Amino acid sequence: MLRQFASVVLCLLLGSVPSLFAAGAPPEPAVSANPNLSVIGRAPDFALRDTEGRTVRLSEYRGRVVLLAFVFTSCPGVCPLITRQMSALQAGLKEAGVFGRRANMLSVTVDPETDTSKVLAEYAQKFGADPAGWRFLRETMARTRPVLKAYDEWTKLLPKGELDHPARVYLLDQKGDIREIYSLAFFNEKQALIDIQTLLAEAAPKQAEESTQSESLLRR
Amino acid sequence: MKAEFRKLPSRMVLVCALAAAFPASQLIAETCISPYIKALSKPETVMYLWALPATPGQGEDFLAVIDVNLASATYGKILKRIPVGSKGNEAHHIGYTDDRTKLWAASLNSDRFFIFDVATDPMNPKLIKVIDNVAKLTGLSGPHTPYAIPGRILVSMASGPDGTGPGGLAEFTNEGRFIASHAATNHPYETVIKPEFNRMITSAWFPQKTWMTPMAQWDPSTWSNPNTLLVWDLKERKIVQTLVAPDAVMLAARWMLKPGAKYGYNISSAGNSIWMFKMEDDGNFSYRKAADTGPNCSPADLRQSPDDKFLYVSCFVGSEIQAWDISDPEKIRLHDTIQGVVQPNMMHVTFDGRRLYFTNSAISSIDYSPRYSMQLVQIGRDGRMKLDPNFKIDFARAPDGPARPHDMLLN
Repeated sequence: MLRQFASVVLCLLLGSVPSLFAAGAPPEPAVSANPNLSVIGRAPDFALRDTEGRTVRLSEYRGRVVLLAFVFTSCPGVCPLITRQMSALQAGLKEAGVFGRRANMLSVTVDPETDTSKVLAEYAQKFGADPAGWRFLRETMARTRPVLKAYDEWTKLLPKGELDHPARVYLLDQKGDIREIYSLAFFNEKQALIDIQTLLAEAAPKQAEESTQSESLLRR
Repeated sequence: MKAEFRKLPSRMVLVCALAAAFPASQLIAETCISPYIKALSKPETVMYLWALPATPGQGEDFLAVIDVNLASATYGKILKRIPVGSKGNEAHHIGYTDDRTKLWAASLNSDRFFIFDVATDPMNPKLIKVIDNVAKLTGLSGPHTPYAIPGRILVSMASGPDGTGPGGLAEFTNEGRFIASHAATNHPYETVIKPEFNRMITSAWFPQKTWMTPMAQWDPSTWSNPNTLLVWDLKERKIVQTLVAPDAVMLAARWMLKPGAKYGYNISSAGNSIWMFKMEDDGNFSYRKAADTGPNCSPADLRQSPDDKFLYVSCFVGSEIQAWDISDPEKIRLHDTIQGVVQPNMMHVTFDGRRLYFTNSAISSIDYSPRYSMQLVQIGRDGRMKLDPNFKIDFARAPDGPARPHDMLLN
């Protein structure tokens, strides 16, 4: 009940509920049972730190499906929404028995100067993130910037002090390839769960393949 | 999973998603672009125009930067031309990437894509990549409209690699790396997506070989299903329904913008008509003629107001621009016209719905007047249109040589 109330408050804060109601309630989101998940490209490797200060390398997740989101905690719009939806997805992955074992989620802050480890940890806790399979990552801006660039992400300070950034979430397969890019605004956690299960149904990479993985930001 | 999803009902999630995608202030926002692009919600300052020399092949195709900032001393002037380094491309449509940092320019004849950086210095776009071998890469030819999806560009391609037969959709990363092609059963002209319904619609025209020959030699018998719209499962990239009309050459299509709006319209150039597509409660689409534009119109472009109240149709042969009142979606009616504008073609409505820019070159093989220009229509709150006497760029007498102006984007 409390969560529903929080969701309603969130929507009200987003500011368009009256106009939505005026247009009539939107239908259930449509999902596809057979998603086309073409290989979009290699997922650049990176090393960032979790809220405990431990180094987390993306390549450590080879053999697992990874949902990678770029967010920041002071984001007034889609970031809290996507994190809320990832929270729901976390529950779905747990029920499917793959959370933290075969499927993981990573949320990377694009605003590490504001998002200290403490701020990020509180944010993760607020959304019920279970560190067993969902970690929030940060680094200094100098070390974050190449990661953003590698993913064609960027940040731009708007005149009113807001931070603008591309609204995308990346889905990586067990081999470390990007297989889907979601828009934060239209992210659908039910579809994401189907997509993850589709990728998990593919054959896991052999050990030899794992050793010849994508270009690494670690060497830069 | 179910317990958690119950705590956060999917309907609530969707409402929030739509709220984020369409905050109240953005119900007044730039129209006729991909919903994945952050729409312009303030007055435009610069326009990018994709154009070719008046005599194709005698000079390079170019991207023009035009000052559209009312407060500027150079308002209404071409600030610069950025040549693309090759001739005979037949500059046609352009599209932003989802993050609005890059502009993709498609070439009808050469199949080439030119990618410009428009973020580093918006007044000085930089050509950063040319994709040359598109037909070989994609198995398709005749690229029409670059359309943004998250992190990628989806291009409607009219025909097979030799310029004949059905085309499809080609998918690239924003940087220009080819991902995949998706076969169509007609000649895709334009793509429009409603993400919340997981549905994509593509309209249809004719194969590349047709427009690369003089119009008198066009052979409609070589066209595949030019009277159809294709409905796709967006996630599957799979055609799930074919909408068939007695009219042909289905050009521009537009979904309505209101969240939850299940309908839209498209124009038939050969049929002189406007058609309405609508997703019914069972998920299937109905398709019916909404109006006749008049026998001599030959609709070339279709645009919409941000409030879903008006459609704008350019009559390429009829030399007029029509405003259609669509307040009653099932009974649309002609609201106003501007007449005497020679061969109007592409249009672009501003974020507030108060101005409409238009150019007047279609394709070099079908243009019938060399009086190339860009003009501006002022739109009143009542939807009435008036040609702005203070804005006209004469491309027939452009200082750097006459040119055919086609598609444009604002920033």
